[in-house]
Amino acid sequence: MRRTRRQHAIIYLGLTVGLVLVVGPFLWTALSSVKPEREIRRDPPTFWPETWTLDNFVELFERVSIGTAFANSVIIALVLVVTNLLFCSMVGYAFAKLDFRGKNLAFGLVLVQLAIPAIVLMVPQFVLIAKLGMVNTFIGIILPTVVTPLGVFMMRQFISDLPDELIDAARVDGAREFRIYFRIILPLCGPALATLGLITFLSSWNNFLWPAVVAQSENMYTLPVALNILNGNEGTHYNLLVAGSVVVIAPILLLFVFLQRFFIQGIATTGLK
Amino acid sequence: MNTITRRAGARATGGLLALAILAAGCGRDAAQAPEQAQNVTTGKVTGEVTVWAMGEEGKALGTFVKDFESANPGVKVNVTAIGWDVAHDKITAAIAGGATPDVSMIGSTWSGELAKTGALDPTPGNLVDKAAFFPGAWQTVELSGTAYGVPWYVETRVLYYRTDQAKKAGVQPPKTWQEFTEFARALKEKGGAKDGFQQSYTLGASWQEVLPLIWQAGGEIVKDGTYTFDTPEAVTALKQYESLFKQKLAPTNTAEGAFPQTFIKGEVGGFFSGPWMVGVLNNDGGPEFKDKFDVAPYPKGPVSGTSFIGGSAMAVFKKAKNRDAAWQFLQWLSEPKVQAKWYTTVKALPAVQVAWQEPELTADKQLAVFGEQLKDAKTPPPFPTWEQVARVLEGELEKLARGTQTPEQTAKSIQSQADTIGTGL
Repeated sequence: MRRTRRQHAIIYLGLTVGLVLVVGPFLWTALSSVKPEREIRRDPPTFWPETWTLDNFVELFERVSIGTAFANSVIIALVLVVTNLLFCSMVGYAFAKLDFRGKNLAFGLVLVQLAIPAIVLMVPQFVLIAKLGMVNTFIGIILPTVVTPLGVFMMRQFISDLPDELIDAARVDGAREFRIYFRIILPLCGPALATLGLITFLSSWNNFLWPAVVAQSENMYTLPVALNILNGNEGTHYNLLVAGSVVVIAPILLLFVFLQRFFIQGIATTGLK
Repeated sequence: MNTITRRAGARATGGLLALAILAAGCGRDAAQAPEQAQNVTTGKVTGEVTVWAMGEEGKALGTFVKDFESANPGVKVNVTAIGWDVAHDKITAAIAGGATPDVSMIGSTWSGELAKTGALDPTPGNLVDKAAFFPGAWQTVELSGTAYGVPWYVETRVLYYRTDQAKKAGVQPPKTWQEFTEFARALKEKGGAKDGFQQSYTLGASWQEVLPLIWQAGGEIVKDGTYTFDTPEAVTALKQYESLFKQKLAPTNTAEGAFPQTFIKGEVGGFFSGPWMVGVLNNDGGPEFKDKFDVAPYPKGPVSGTSFIGGSAMAVFKKAKNRDAAWQFLQWLSEPKVQAKWYTTVKALPAVQVAWQEPELTADKQLAVFGEQLKDAKTPPPFPTWEQVARVLEGELEKLARGTQTPEQTAKSIQSQADTIGTGL
């Protein structure tokens, strides 16, 4: 059925409202980062900066070692993306396509972990990491999330739907399990891997509490942890916080723009299974 | 975060982990005898000292310690700045994992909880003189007669008011509770403050404004090791607190974050808060606002004009790798000259009394009001459960402010919940 002009207008109106609601705060943050502090706190607030200034960024870079923190965040996020893609898909494959004793129990345990809030595990995890002597190291920050239950669950669901015949055919051709996983399964998991990669990157990028607790010297700080120092004595410095937020958000936005196609595809293919 | 409530807000995040730590500590003998402090060497020290400090102080301390290092060749102080939001969780987790630094800055109400884990080193008597500090400040580090750490800097609450509105209304800063009510009324009716007086009633700060009232009425919130909120004095204080709302002299519809802009615009004519607000007002109000506000000591209640004292302490952990140097570093931080210099660095008020005689502090007239108020200021008990009780107070005070319960009901309700929570000792 063809839509009338009127219907189009209504749809676009709805979309515009949604867009403003979603993009508005980001835009305000971005514009505020180039306003002087007094203007940010003024009531009524201004949307378009009256005075343009880069002082916030200058001050931010002077006060916080953003460069180091940025590098730390990137390294940690990338390592976690790689380990999660690899291990979650491996475990997911085993759960989906292999038969072994205790499989259901093991998978059940994975599902149970989905229900446990991370905060509950924090102290025991920290004690563990401390006893292993990994406090204030990259490995200490990374280890607890190298493979996540959510990732395993996602990959298992996705791989379950791949036809068994493909695997049987590969087996007939003499392929061993690892080769099947690597050459048959993994290439078919594109959309699921893209989604998992993005989720992992985002959650690592935004993760605050764990790195804040494990990193004990400033050269190990990630971006959110470094920015948190600004929450200081004389109240919060909103000018520095908005500038910091822009630094944190910008890479994510770029990532979304480039990976948008995969991301939408990923949701469409895994979400409804 | 609301500027008036910064410390309290920062501390509020600690609840979850605190429980975990306490649970972990259950294996130890709960009713331990008061610990004896071990003396430390007063001679030459060397080696590295790791220090954690929060927020601005953490950033500034890193360069500030250079003086200590040059006075003690061979000592290196490594300062790690940590955010206020995460500090409590980080310290408690570090204690649980046995991965503590040598020294850490701690919030003024954390001592009890942290000391109870057995991770803090009692303050050695041969290095630190208790009498040098404001009594209220020393109270913050003391638990059952043993001190854990040293007060570093303090803050206290005073009355802020619009001088232009007070002048227009023809009133002077109030000296008593009665005068205070009239003062608020005059600001509203004659001075032009259309909403009257800013009195906190939501989560974050309200308890810090009500405790002084209880003390001013002659009440104590702790007696013989239990919480005592349901006393005639507490009810008197709650009535005083409620009266401002009842007489429409304090707004109960302030939007989140609207204050202190409401004060700068003159919609409210006054409020009670700490020294950091001077900086905030000068910054947000601009140069022309500087002469439009002033500070005054708390008006006296039936018994006294006691205020709230907060701030931060420095504590040494038992697992410190360099105990002697750590304590000498704390001793250095408590020297009057160093305290005065620290004031000029981050505007943190000295916890050491004689430091207030230093020229850096005597020059400022507004500062003198805080110095005077500090002589009569108290702190909540260093009980491990204090933060939980503070949340109860906030919840009940909001109900009182909104008129859904009477002062008597409020006192009873706080008491029964505080009884359930217990002191945690």
